[in-house]
Amino acid sequence: MKKDSLPWLQYICRACGLIYDEEEGDPDSGLAPGTRFEDIPDDWECPLCGVRKTDFELFETQEIALAPKTVSFSKQSGIVIIGAGIAGWSVIEAIRKENTHIPIALVSACNGERYHKPELSVAISRGLDGDKLIQETAEQAGRRLRVKLLTNTFAVGINPSAKQLRTTRGSIQYTQLILAQGSRAFLPEQVSAEQCWRVNDLASWSGLEKLLRQSSQRVAIIGAGMIGCELAEDLNKAGHRVTLINRDPYPLSTLIPEIASKFLTQSMDQQGIDHRANADINEIRKTDSGDSELSLKDGSSVVYDQLIVATGLITDTRLAKQAGLIFNRGIVVDSSNLQTSQKDIYALGDCISIDGVPCRFIEPIQHQARAIANSILELKQPCYQHTPPVIRLKTRTLPIVVRGLPQSNGKWITVNKNDDELVMEQHLADDVIALLRVDLSRLKKSA
Amino acid sequence: MNQVALQSEKSDLWNVDSSVLADVQNISKRHLSPEANRIDQEGYYPADIMSELGAAGAFAPHLNAYGQRFDLAISNMRAISQHCGSTGFITWCQDVCGLYMDLSENKSLVDRLPDHATGKNLGGTALSNPMKAFTGIEAMALKANKVNGGYIVSGTLPWVSHIESGHYCGAIAAVDNKDGSRSHEIMFMLDINDQVKLAKCPVFSGMEGTSTWGINISEYFVSEAQLIADPARPFIKKIRGSFILLQTGWACGVIQASIDACREVETSLGHVNQFLHNRPDELEAEFEELEQRIVALAQSPYETNKEHMLNVLDTRAQCSELSLKASQSALLHQGARGYLMKSKPQRLIREAHFVAIVTPAIKHLRWEMAKLMSET
Repeated sequence: MKKDSLPWLQYICRACGLIYDEEEGDPDSGLAPGTRFEDIPDDWECPLCGVRKTDFELFETQEIALAPKTVSFSKQSGIVIIGAGIAGWSVIEAIRKENTHIPIALVSACNGERYHKPELSVAISRGLDGDKLIQETAEQAGRRLRVKLLTNTFAVGINPSAKQLRTTRGSIQYTQLILAQGSRAFLPEQVSAEQCWRVNDLASWSGLEKLLRQSSQRVAIIGAGMIGCELAEDLNKAGHRVTLINRDPYPLSTLIPEIASKFLTQSMDQQGIDHRANADINEIRKTDSGDSELSLKDGSSVVYDQLIVATGLITDTRLAKQAGLIFNRGIVVDSSNLQTSQKDIYALGDCISIDGVPCRFIEPIQHQARAIANSILELKQPCYQHTPPVIRLKTRTLPIVVRGLPQSNGKWITVNKNDDELVMEQHLADDVIALLRVDLSRLKKSA
Repeated sequence: MNQVALQSEKSDLWNVDSSVLADVQNISKRHLSPEANRIDQEGYYPADIMSELGAAGAFAPHLNAYGQRFDLAISNMRAISQHCGSTGFITWCQDVCGLYMDLSENKSLVDRLPDHATGKNLGGTALSNPMKAFTGIEAMALKANKVNGGYIVSGTLPWVSHIESGHYCGAIAAVDNKDGSRSHEIMFMLDINDQVKLAKCPVFSGMEGTSTWGINISEYFVSEAQLIADPARPFIKKIRGSFILLQTGWACGVIQASIDACREVETSLGHVNQFLHNRPDELEAEFEELEQRIVALAQSPYETNKEHMLNVLDTRAQCSELSLKASQSALLHQGARGYLMKSKPQRLIREAHFVAIVTPAIKHLRWEMAKLMSET
């Protein structure tokens, strides 16, 4: 059979979830439409996060019977999911793959549109806007997956013994409840919500994008973790003047050793990003000319047009506490089936913690979703196995990959260092607990 | 704990908490219950029974002088409301009016409190409009102008409960600047004297015995002795949670009476009632969990943080939902008997409707929870 007549296949990036479609190719990186995955050169990289071809796997589209319209809501209880982010929709997909008729309702504080959240921190320099990021509206996904939608609806209380969820549109019964409520941005005490942008969902990102689209602006970013570093590069590339305000001595300090981070600082310097290390925020004030200004405790200050806070995420505790769920930096779940401390209440994604550690990465979500579907539908399939995900810093100029979970008390050892790469291992006692690779090939060599 | 020692610091109104509740239950059962239909249908305003309940300590426990026992105040209100929802509602009016005086820091008003707490004097609350105005639902109805020694207030409020000539109610008026912009609001005790015109209200579906009137005032002088708070907003922020939380006692009485009405016919109709939704056991399970949350919230009535406010709003909204569900079920359980105009389920349904539409109505509660939860 000729290759052209074979069906087009799709491959999913295990690190960031991007889907490569053979039919569409990826013209931006030189792959014409119709380029088969096997014909892609080995040195090709994921256009979103930069991992290599070997980190992709075959993505099988799920065959789901189409319903003529969204199932109308009745008092009939069924599975209820709170949250329409990647976690919420993933668990719906996982259930529908196995069962097309069980009633499912989705309660979501936002409008439920499907988009790929990791793209937010790299989308502005690509000229994307909110509309281009939306993969499917909630109505489209709801029809396709036969889900009753309760969008722009807040979950306010749970009564586990009566299996009742109270929302801002009334109470509903559930057979199983799945919490996929995500997490929200944590703000330093000197900054109020009205004074800054958070890039934790499409709606807030779109507000920022609309303003940045108009002109080149001065952007201050507080926090030099993954999102802060990615945004700094993205906005700088899009022509804005970026100042990265970092409380710590070097960027990504909780994840990588100083020796590796120096390359990141060097890369920022070369791009013209103003990285302020050891910078403690004092207050926000107005300058005489009416500009906004962030004063730092060392006496210096940063004048900005837009302020972004990327100082980490926290999970809201109220709903979990109110339902009597055990909580430890996140909703505590059984790591084999993602059930919480209450029977028939499950949780996945950003809102959970496993062994006291929140897990706020994309990669494990699909596996968690499948484990919940297995448990609810009583399928005899393997349990969820929690492993630290591959962490990939989506900075084009200095790709960084971390595998494993670095600890503050671990010891980093250089395994290889040359002009193209820095490879390190972190040791704790006799074990290697994490691996780090910094791709130096694109870094301009200093004179 | 030494109950006597604890009580000695309070007023001498009662000695033991349990005896207050028992007295309130007793008066409600013996004196109030037989009048429930007269109150509901003929509009009889039970001022005499209210005085009797006040003397027994029904309206005092949540006040500072009596140990800020919101749980007991709610239990008393629940016991009254279980026999008559209208009287349960005016108990709430009396309780929050006492709260206004208690927290006013105005000696003239604090001095009036003992007679109010013991039911010698009766008074209500006219805060439906300002509560809605503060959350942006409607405009302020009363306007005030500063004058020497107080304010001159004018305006009309459509309906205010638990008032008549010689009574009083807490009210709020807006003070505007000369250019028409809002300066602030004042909260004051509106004494119902000759200056106040009480307008007859249209006939309501229920709650007729609550002595509800339209209030019309023109150039009414508010002296400093009547001022509860100036400005009013910080005061409202402080009492808002307890104002809403206290209403749960009234709603819980309606819910309990509805569950009782379902059970009342169990021996005669249980064989067919078993096919109904919302059976008394189911309702009771939901009710128990709700009441546990109310008791917990009553321990910190003046908390103002977001989590507490959400919990209060959520609890109050569930009170409305469960009142509607339980009273509807009471009628279905009693069948034809419950369809008689003078039957208890008929009254309970109309009382539950009032629980659900009075300020804050279900829709307002949900609207406000959504607003609070949108804030990050």
